[in-house]
Amino acid sequence: MGRVSRRGAAGLLVGLLSLTAALSGCGAESADGPVTLRFVWWGNEDRAKATRAAVEEFQKRNPDIKVETEYSGYDAYFQKLSTQVAGGAGPDLLQLDRATVGEYAGRKVLADLGEHTGKDLELDKIPANLLEGGKVDGRQYAVAAGATTQMLIFDPTHFEAAGVTVPTAPGEKWTWAQFAEAMGKVGAAGQVAGTTDFGWAVDWFEVWLHQHGKSLYTPDGKLGFTADELAEYWAMIGTMRAGKGVSPAEVTTKMDGSVQNSGIVTRQAASEIGYDSAVTGYFGAFGPNLELAPLPSDVAESGMAAMPPVSFAVSQRSKHKAAAVKLLDFLVNDPEAGRLLGASRGVPPNEEIRAQVCSSAEGGSKAVCDYEVAQRDKIGPAFGAWPTGSSAIKRDFQRTYDDVIFNRVSVADAAKRVVQDAEQSLGS
Amino acid sequence: MTQSVLSRPEVDAPPPPPTARGGRRRRGQGVAYLFLSPWIVGAALLTIGPMVASLYLSFTDYDLFEAPTWIGVENYVTMFTGDERFWHAAWTTTKYVLISVPLKLGLALAVAMLLNRARKGVGLYRSAFYAPSLLGASVSVALAWRAMFSTDGTVDRVLSSIGLDLGGWVDQPQYALLTLVALAAWQFGAPMVIFLAGLKQVPRELYEAAAIDGAGPARRFLSVTLPMLSPVILFNLVLETIHAFQAFTGAFVVSSGRGGPSDSTLLYPLYLYQRGFTDFRMGYASAMAWVLLAVVAILTALVFRSARRWVFYAGEDR
Repeated sequence: MGRVSRRGAAGLLVGLLSLTAALSGCGAESADGPVTLRFVWWGNEDRAKATRAAVEEFQKRNPDIKVETEYSGYDAYFQKLSTQVAGGAGPDLLQLDRATVGEYAGRKVLADLGEHTGKDLELDKIPANLLEGGKVDGRQYAVAAGATTQMLIFDPTHFEAAGVTVPTAPGEKWTWAQFAEAMGKVGAAGQVAGTTDFGWAVDWFEVWLHQHGKSLYTPDGKLGFTADELAEYWAMIGTMRAGKGVSPAEVTTKMDGSVQNSGIVTRQAASEIGYDSAVTGYFGAFGPNLELAPLPSDVAESGMAAMPPVSFAVSQRSKHKAAAVKLLDFLVNDPEAGRLLGASRGVPPNEEIRAQVCSSAEGGSKAVCDYEVAQRDKIGPAFGAWPTGSSAIKRDFQRTYDDVIFNRVSVADAAKRVVQDAEQSLGS
Repeated sequence: MTQSVLSRPEVDAPPPPPTARGGRRRRGQGVAYLFLSPWIVGAALLTIGPMVASLYLSFTDYDLFEAPTWIGVENYVTMFTGDERFWHAAWTTTKYVLISVPLKLGLALAVAMLLNRARKGVGLYRSAFYAPSLLGASVSVALAWRAMFSTDGTVDRVLSSIGLDLGGWVDQPQYALLTLVALAAWQFGAPMVIFLAGLKQVPRELYEAAAIDGAGPARRFLSVTLPMLSPVILFNLVLETIHAFQAFTGAFVVSSGRGGPSDSTLLYPLYLYQRGFTDFRMGYASAMAWVLLAVVAILTALVFRSARRWVFYAGEDR
């Protein structure tokens, strides 16, 4: 009898212990006292370092707000983010890009910043074309975290060795034919391809479309290009691939937009098309011996545009929206924050701060400022925001391009498939 | 008879207890349930609950953020009639299962037979061969795998040094799935341990009798080892097949979650994940999960059915 009850007591204890363990996970939230914010972004080491320094400064000035930061690579970031938001554990302040602002705003995850604008959120100093990228259906859901434009980043040693000059001075430009020839020469001369195959990213196709008077998406959110146009573009790159102008399929298939996997940093290409917001990352991962040049164009328009590389948004489900908006305002408008952030998300969006930051910039930040100044006259107005479904389109575009470079499908059929998939994604 | 061996052995019922013992027994059951309670609570909340929820979600359009809307069987219809990638993923998974499971079991059996002999330090070897299956499911090993099989990785260099210039396996559509198969086969430890236990059960005298009758090693393997081991083979086959259908980590890590290059490593669970968490189509993903469950259940049932023809239980007439 006694033995049994002892066993019973032990069992009860175990049961209770496990129950307590299970329950202690929940219910840690308290309303009063210091507020804790979660702020998440994706990016490289240099961006993380700069952002943490700015957050540190913010906490010093606002002792009642504690900010937890988290960052990761692009793919991992969005995998985590969607799961966390769906599970009700989303961050308060988050970083989004053009493809995802529409996606998340359309699904009612983001707070409308309109009610804060002019009160605790100052947007006057940010150019209207940058703010446009954060608007969905006329409401401001996100604020540009910087300004960026397209560029070709290159390692001059390979180009000098091949006897190729790249137009870097203000006003200089090159055509696609000159570009292809230059890349072919570099590829033929050395161990590396002339440039990383740029056919996988819908972003650079967008520039090409703008040079042809078209766009990826129409203002009302429809598809703005035809299969024939995409086929022409991919065929042009295909010719370059045959002559080692662009990287081979095995290299291209690994591209994910991150600096550490890029063709330049892995020493498999002499140059690469990208956004200048990534320059500080390239400098960090590769070294400072890199230069910037404009994208080629056959017409007067460069096709390039000033746009937010990434934007900040506040979660609709945040319990501390006011504090999150305060941090957002600090990041884009405070001079000290601007100094600390430098060009880690492109040049600062606030024009006053941009002038300040650029006057004392060095290293990667200086390269970005110089490039922005040199290309100022060529950079067109911002492209429109991307509609809901565009992140699926961006993925399908790359996936289909994989089939192209591995010769599994003809360029014409692949282009047709992209258009079909895209129309489906936009419809859903 | 197969049936009676498979079913649980009948334990002789205890004699009808006196009333005092009956009370004690009931109390004992209470304690048993108390000890089981963490598992019962866990199973109900973390397994059965979500399963029921996912069955409901599979009939809805659910984007993770907004409330699901009922759309009937539309997800299932789209899957079977309008989704090329679904069929592609199903086919890729079929190839993966058909190659990796026999390879893994073959390796496991071969190594188990080598380790079955009494030799110095055999315990060390057993642990060493078992270790990969402890590590195999982890992300870090998959990362190492990707590095080894990438262009200019270890495997590429070794192969080029003997004149086989194939390039990085993970970067080429025709080889990428093979790296996943190799990763799976390398984790043969768990079935190996089970085979090893099975081999220990084979009576020595059967081998002796066979040897006296003039049977060589091959004959002994085919006529003694395999039949005596067939119940263990069945067990391993079922387990590994189910495992292989659920393979996710390797494919996810090796392809950075994309299933590339050119969709060559797009295993079914990876496509399911993409649909749910990157395309925000959780209803569709739930439907895919139920289709997978049904397929695996049917295949398992078929394997059990076929077992009557090839599984031999000791004591049974042949």
